[in-house]
Amino acid sequence: MLFEVQGLSKRFGEIAALSDVSFHVRAGEVLGLIGPNGAGKSTLFECLAGVLPCDSGAVRAHGQSIGTAERPSILFYVPDSIAPWAAQSLRWALDYTIGFFSGRPELREEVVAQLDLGDLLRRPIGALSKGQLKRVLLAIGLLTRQPALLIDEPFDGLDLRQTREVAAGLRAHAARGRTLFLSIHQIGDAARICDRFVLLSNGRVRGEGTLPELAAQAAARDAAGSFASLEEVFLALT
Amino acid sequence: MRRARSPAWKRCFLRSPKPAFLWLLEKEWRELVVSRAWWVLLLAMGPLVGVSFMSAVRTYAEVSGLNGTAAGVGEALSPLIGVWAPTFSACELAAVFLLPFVAIRLVGGDRQNGTLKLELQQGMSAFGLIAAKTMVVLAGWLVAMLPPLSAILLWRGYGGSVYAPELATLISGHVLNAGLTIALGAAMASVAEHPSTAAILTLSVTVGTWILDFVGAIQGGWWEHAAGYTPAALVAEFQHGLVRLDSILIAIVLIVTGLGLAAVWMRLGTPSHRRLYESMGVAALSASAIFGCTLVRGSWDTSESRSNSFPVADERALGQIHEPLRVEVHLAPEDPRRLDLEHRALSKLRRILPNLHVTYVSATSIGLFEQTSAGYGEIWYRLGNRKAMSRATTEEGVLEVIYSLAGINPPKEDEAAVYRGRPLAVEPRGAGAVFFGFWPGVVVIGAILVRRRFQ
Repeated sequence: MLFEVQGLSKRFGEIAALSDVSFHVRAGEVLGLIGPNGAGKSTLFECLAGVLPCDSGAVRAHGQSIGTAERPSILFYVPDSIAPWAAQSLRWALDYTIGFFSGRPELREEVVAQLDLGDLLRRPIGALSKGQLKRVLLAIGLLTRQPALLIDEPFDGLDLRQTREVAAGLRAHAARGRTLFLSIHQIGDAARICDRFVLLSNGRVRGEGTLPELAAQAAARDAAGSFASLEEVFLALT
Repeated sequence: MRRARSPAWKRCFLRSPKPAFLWLLEKEWRELVVSRAWWVLLLAMGPLVGVSFMSAVRTYAEVSGLNGTAAGVGEALSPLIGVWAPTFSACELAAVFLLPFVAIRLVGGDRQNGTLKLELQQGMSAFGLIAAKTMVVLAGWLVAMLPPLSAILLWRGYGGSVYAPELATLISGHVLNAGLTIALGAAMASVAEHPSTAAILTLSVTVGTWILDFVGAIQGGWWEHAAGYTPAALVAEFQHGLVRLDSILIAIVLIVTGLGLAAVWMRLGTPSHRRLYESMGVAALSASAIFGCTLVRGSWDTSESRSNSFPVADERALGQIHEPLRVEVHLAPEDPRRLDLEHRALSKLRRILPNLHVTYVSATSIGLFEQTSAGYGEIWYRLGNRKAMSRATTEEGVLEVIYSLAGINPPKEDEAAVYRGRPLAVEPRGAGAVFFGFWPGVVVIGAILVRRRFQ
């Protein structure tokens, strides 16, 4: 196990965005954080990355609590809908990522090829389309060195072909030992790429495990139901 | 095919890891040069300095006897007061109305576009992040100071004299003032969610310091004391070539406080209530440090005219006084005689006599209706058990009373040491072309080239 999350809660005034969220993340797996819009996925990622304060709860690794300041040693979070260094070229942004974040220069060419960014290297990030920007954010995340990479909505803005190619690329990185924790609201996309799932709804974890494990949990609740797909499992558990 | 190998020095250089802070500095610099706010600042500096410089040189020329006017004498013909203070006042304007937007753009922009969420994960301290931004904005400010610096070259070209220490003091004052503005802008950009809110807050604080100046001038007392440390008062001292250690230390404390607050509020992952407590801690530390700084003595008069000092012989004579000298001034804060007394005598006396205690006594702020009151306008001097009264507010009048009280023979005036001024009766030739043509042209071309490079 790479790290575990215990009893994480976060409120925005009267609204409970996260309530006693607990789960664990295994090394080298692709873990999907599945939930509808407003389930608290982004809030959970921001709390884990330490860019949003949580009200209670802990992140633990090897039996020890990992404080906010130490989180960058184990995980890196790529937010959704951001446009960093908008006036700078993609080429420079990748160099900066490797330099500033002590990233992995040996992966630069591979990541550029995997995400089809070769033709965009000279263009300013602010001039890119939504899908292109998403691929840039993925590249930034993949070039970092932390063992776990948290990506908020990795397929948002990508077309079907790009989604499949990006999913294959992410799996390749996971196969080499990188742990990926992906927040996905499209359940079909999640089913294609993830090894295990954390189901989140209304800020609460409704289930955690592989598809067969989740299906078993759903069947325990509703013996008459059919739970062949992740969609059916999700609907049954949330 | 065999690959061409790059030279050994280049391979070595490429392999050497650049520290994260240098990467950050490079990024901030690149962000600065693409920000419109900075280019607008640069563009505005040319005409602002041009108007100030040309007007100052013309006035200076008239006082020097151009077109048949009577030649001036003494301090009126000090280039520091006659040319450089008004020319560099453009920097003061720009620091108040333009520079905050450059700082806010650089600090608040990262928060707006989400960059901060990424960069906070690098592990670098928030103070490191804000320090890099400050250094870059300060470098940007130094570039913006090129027009007034080019005015120095023009002045030399006209045959004008330049006294380096006083110019260095003036420039340092404006750099320090810019530091205060940057720190304030950074703090507000970090505290506020939106850059426009930060801009309003920054300007509000600036207006607040102006109100403090105004209240200090009317109320006197502690208000006047506090007003002596506002950015405007700081710049005014440097404009006269006066370097006061307490003012510099307080400015540095305020800059560090602003950057500290910016760093506290930049840490998005820290709960708001904790950031609030930390801010209160920073403010308390800052207040203590400022109080400590007000106790620090030490000042230097770098002006060629020694406009902040008594003549050397008088300073030597005053140095023989070791007893505490108490001065009780019965003049209202807005009475022009009080300003005369303060600027012509007491401010100079404070620099020489560490045991000087000045008390102002008045029933009103303007003193208009106190004129007929008994004792109004009197200035009482007490040295040991001797005391004397005078109504003189001139340097000579004040010194005469003090010498008489101390039983010291007034030194003879050293004619050779008297500053006779640096008259120069010339028109500001070529200044219009430099500040209204060349500089804006360079800025516009620079902006276009940078824009092309980045897009």
